[in-house]
Amino acid sequence: MEATLEVRGLCKHYADGDRLVEVLNHVSLDLAGGRSLAVTGPSGSGKSTLLNILAGILAADAGMVVLRTGEATVDLATLNDAERTRLRRRHIGYVYQFFNLVPTLTVWENTVLPARLNKRLDLDARAGELLDQFALSARRDTFPEVLSGGEQQRVAVARALVLQPPLLLADEPTGNLDATNSKHVADLLFSAAREQNVALVIATHSEEIAARADQRLHLNVDTPPLT
Amino acid sequence: MIARALLRFLQRTPLSTLMAVLGVALGVTSIVSVHLISATVAERLDELIPRQLAGFTHFLHRADLQADNYFDLRRRWRSGALPDVEGLSPLIDESLLVDTRQVRAIGVDLFSADIGVVEGAGSAAAEEWRWDGVWVDESLVDVVRLPVNGIIAAPPGTLVGDIGVVQDLLGWPSSRISYVGARFVSPWDDLRSLGEALLPGLDAGLPEVTPALSEAGWQIVSLARQHPASQFGKSVLFNISALGALALLVAWFLMYQVAVSWLRRLWPVFERLHVLGVSWRELGGYFAAAMLVLGVVAGGLGLAAGYLLAVQLYGIAIPQAEPEFSLDAWVVLKAAGSSVAVCLLGGAVAFNRARHGIPAERRLHAALILPLAALAGVAFDSSGLIGGFFSIAVLSVLTALAVVPLLNRLRLHSQRLAGPLLVRLSLRELFWYPREFSIALAGLSLAVATAIGVGLMIDSFRADFSRMLDRRLTYDVVVRGGDELAGIASELAATPDVSRLQRYQTVALRIEGAPFELIVTKVDAFEAARYGLSTPLAPDAALLSEQGARTLGRGPGDTLEVDGRELRVAGVFSSFGDLVPRVIVDRGSGLTGRLESLSINADDPARVLGAIRSLSSAAEVELQADLRRIALDTFDQTFAITAVLITIAMVVAGIGVYVAVTTLRLNRRSSTRLLHGLGIVRGESALMDLSLGLGLGAMAVVLALPLGLAFGWILCEVINPRAFGWTVALALSADALATPAFWGLVAAAVAGVLRFGRDEEGTHVART
Repeated sequence: MEATLEVRGLCKHYADGDRLVEVLNHVSLDLAGGRSLAVTGPSGSGKSTLLNILAGILAADAGMVVLRTGEATVDLATLNDAERTRLRRRHIGYVYQFFNLVPTLTVWENTVLPARLNKRLDLDARAGELLDQFALSARRDTFPEVLSGGEQQRVAVARALVLQPPLLLADEPTGNLDATNSKHVADLLFSAAREQNVALVIATHSEEIAARADQRLHLNVDTPPLT
Repeated sequence: MIARALLRFLQRTPLSTLMAVLGVALGVTSIVSVHLISATVAERLDELIPRQLAGFTHFLHRADLQADNYFDLRRRWRSGALPDVEGLSPLIDESLLVDTRQVRAIGVDLFSADIGVVEGAGSAAAEEWRWDGVWVDESLVDVVRLPVNGIIAAPPGTLVGDIGVVQDLLGWPSSRISYVGARFVSPWDDLRSLGEALLPGLDAGLPEVTPALSEAGWQIVSLARQHPASQFGKSVLFNISALGALALLVAWFLMYQVAVSWLRRLWPVFERLHVLGVSWRELGGYFAAAMLVLGVVAGGLGLAAGYLLAVQLYGIAIPQAEPEFSLDAWVVLKAAGSSVAVCLLGGAVAFNRARHGIPAERRLHAALILPLAALAGVAFDSSGLIGGFFSIAVLSVLTALAVVPLLNRLRLHSQRLAGPLLVRLSLRELFWYPREFSIALAGLSLAVATAIGVGLMIDSFRADFSRMLDRRLTYDVVVRGGDELAGIASELAATPDVSRLQRYQTVALRIEGAPFELIVTKVDAFEAARYGLSTPLAPDAALLSEQGARTLGRGPGDTLEVDGRELRVAGVFSSFGDLVPRVIVDRGSGLTGRLESLSINADDPARVLGAIRSLSSAAEVELQADLRRIALDTFDQTFAITAVLITIAMVVAGIGVYVAVTTLRLNRRSSTRLLHGLGIVRGESALMDLSLGLGLGAMAVVLALPLGLAFGWILCEVINPRAFGWTVALALSADALATPAFWGLVAAAVAGVLRFGRDEEGTHVART
């Protein structure tokens, strides 16, 4: 089976004054739809940088990131910032650790935001189903400020899935939650990946969550190796 | 080290630093230009009062004044009965004809008077100083037949001499004088002088305090009231100065907004430094020093720009005169002082609020006290122009205080907002983060409200003025001045083309101590209709101008004494543009004056015009159509400065909106990052900024509409009567309401769009 996400020789460095700091050094990976990859490593090892490159928020210095969307196969390295942004809004779901929701939009509005950005009014029904599935229907018209941390992350997952993207990126999605909520959100992510044939990349410090993933990529501070 | 870090911070936030400096510099530009123009015009206005009278603060009048009355008063003064009086002097101030020239003859006590001979004009002066000689302005040098001791700086047609000499000229007995000049002292004199130097025209805006005089039978008239032309001009200056201060006030709002934004970013650092042992006082001092640097830079820029703007504005407002501006110590002090004060005060209030917030009870007290203060300013005429402007300032503060509670209340209903999701998101930010927008919103509201208020006043005034011209300009041709008017009138009376010939005799006199212009003419039904009267004016009746009625406190049905005759006030007519109060009587009243003008209706006005020009080259002849055009052009010219000052305030307010939107984006980086992650493109970001700007603009307009209406009402019903003696009927014009609202929205929208949807954070994402 062809991989949904294919990464080869990915490199990224940052300038720190006159010094160049290498963050990602020839990272390669393959991830098929319905499979999950846990990215682990200490703080500063480049987990978020990797996810941001996969999402097209950052451009890599070298290497290739190929995404198969079902419509087309795209190498993110060949796209400019605007093209990567368009690709992200159509085909990539993203869940952050903090501040996942727009505070001035209600739960419903946050959930349908990706659909609205893509002018897909037909996805309202799916958004409703996701809110039902995640036990959030009762909170539909409330603003995020009154939601618990767990509820906020569930809304974020629902929003990330509403477009049925081939790739779902989650940057420490449970880092801010208690054990129960953490497990609940992880369940949602992994089951969505399996059931909806989504390739899930999840950056985490949690050994428990990493263990649930089909694949694992460990990044070190100095020379991130591919495992 | 902390100071260096702060300066580095300013360097690292170049855009907001630039905007802050630009905004404050524009505010300073506004007040510097107004000061330069006002100081120049005030100097000219001062010249309208002969120097020999300008040294007195008040003039004492009484019926049938005799020299004995003066000496009685003087004896009482010397015995200590008039402790507030510093000086008393008998004066003669009358009009007389010298070789057909109307001359104002002023008789003074030469032992105490400061004549003030013009330097370098000695060639025209007499060889020797003579007690029976006179001092004249340049226009009279070749007119008077008396020995001329020197040339004085005074309005054209002024003659000054010893009391005895002028009594001889007038044919008066030695016991008769016109009035007594008095110099009253007040503990506020020095303060008022300082205020006048800082804000030319201020004195005209302060309440007029009439000193108490225990002696019976005397009327006290202030120097300003006795010279209404000068007072009129200074009132205009006061109004313009107040408007000039608007941009500075909005600049203060901007500075405060910027300081709040900077402090939000600096505060974590300050807190850490405080933990390390740096006192809050020291931190505040460093922040103030950074503000001071901005203030000095903005002051310098504003001074230079203000000078250039003043040259331009002067050219627009007074095109016939060449400006002579000097950047003296006062204007430099004013520019630097106001700029530094705006920056320091903006910074200090922001710093204080960041530390302590605003106690809710203080807001409540303000909400209770401020409306009463605003009411007092408009209710008491004795509070003068400054009272009216105080009410305007209080209402502005009240509106600014209402912003946060209003936005908080609207937040409760923001769920109902409809429209595209990104627009909804941005509009809700306005209600969600009121503290970040309140000041920008208040600044823009104030600028729009002022534009609305001034616009309403100008439109209402123009409508009233135009109506007055429609009623008054019923003659085809008007002929003024010239010694040949009587001859012209005789010739025209015999011309078949002329269907109506109206003769106007004029004389300057005092009624109850106040200067008036008496007009004697045949007031038949046609003429009476020009002044709003439906019947001819009876010989024992008079028409009073609105200023005259206000000066004397009389209205229709009251009586007044004019030159020894008791007359009934038959009506009060509007008199926009008059410098001196007028009283009109029928020629049957027995009063007379000098023939000053003719008004003519003719079948062929052009032919009559030609005939007049062939009869006299000296007479000034004007067609009615020209008079109307000139009057309306002058009206529009008068308000040209106003439009520029409001535009500056609007630009500064626009910068405030820009800073507010930028601050929000900076402070809500997490939202920005999230939206970026969801694939928001730059155009959508720009749409969000535009929506936010427009939302802010719309809110500003909503707040500005009632505030602007209140301003308009105060300007028409309070400021105009107090400044000029006339009332303007407030008319709600759609244009005056819609145009500022439109430009307010444009300013806010442009401020939002100017960011081009920039993401302050760029694409930097923390490495974890």
